[in-house]
Amino acid sequence: MAVDLTMPVLVVDDYNTMIRIIRNLLKQIGFQDIDDAADGTAALGKMREKRYGLVISDWNMEPMTGYELLKEVRLDPGLAKTPFIMVTAESKTENVIAAKKAGVNNYIVKPFNAQTLQSKIEAVFSD
Amino acid sequence: MANVKSEHFNAVYDFLQNKRPAETTLADVLELAEISARTMQRFFADMDSAVYRELREIAGYIESLKREIGALKANEIKSSRIPAAGQELSAVCKATEAATNTIMECAETVMAADGRDPKAYKALVEEKMMLVFEACSFQDITGQRISKVVETLQLIDERVSRFAKAIAARDAGGPATEKERLREERRQRLLLNGPQLGGPETSQSEVDTMFP
Repeated sequence: MAVDLTMPVLVVDDYNTMIRIIRNLLKQIGFQDIDDAADGTAALGKMREKRYGLVISDWNMEPMTGYELLKEVRLDPGLAKTPFIMVTAESKTENVIAAKKAGVNNYIVKPFNAQTLQSKIEAVFSD
Repeated sequence: MANVKSEHFNAVYDFLQNKRPAETTLADVLELAEISARTMQRFFADMDSAVYRELREIAGYIESLKREIGALKANEIKSSRIPAAGQELSAVCKATEAATNTIMECAETVMAADGRDPKAYKALVEEKMMLVFEACSFQDITGQRISKVVETLQLIDERVSRFAKAIAARDAGGPATEKERLREERRQRLLLNGPQLGGPETSQSEVDTMFP
């Protein structure tokens, strides 16, 4: 796996359980520096304070959704290149296309398994 | 309301047709007044019965509307049924969250356990697996709670459907409130479709073809 496991990862989800699941899976992969945020606004604040190597975000959150977060990140010159994976139950084709147009690096449909998460992270960093 | 009919005034018309203004006497004027009075009496009698019929129909409609509004039991739905359903769903969320936390704690403990002592490790795994089994019992109770909520929704659906049919309700176009309009606008703008029934609309393998 050509991924720097020391890089900080930000997990964005409004459900503590999902944050806990992703956090455990990331630890299992080997990541140690993992932070979390409950919505896009909180995530954006953290991203402007700390440079993250990867963002894994849910879509449906309030007040700022993951989709809005992605667009904000891509518009910010200091954050624009941050790898961004969407992990969401939004499985309509229009969602996937919109996320891709907005610059998402990969897209995982919930429910997902550890293998899917690992393979998508590897795919993002093999580009 | 009864319409004024020309036949009501035929007698007045006939009288005036047969009279020349130059020949009109006081007796003629009195006779005309008498004919007019009789004519108006018939007209108002007809009108009274038509108005009465219409008012009776309106009263009947209002009475049936009152019955239907009563059967809707809107106050009971608002003050009792909906809060109770909300409490049931809240309890479901709490129970599933508690069970998930228990299961995850068990998994995390097992993952972090030291496996160098096989006997101790086996005992720990068995203990945590028992906790997992116990935690899974939430499903029975949450299933019963959700059944109660479904029952409430069915009851509300029956009452509202009956009321809508009774008053021949027709839906107004567009959102009912400004709050609803804003929520719908946000949902469409941010593509908040939510999980699809029957599983993801686009599978992970289909998504993968879009990210080669």
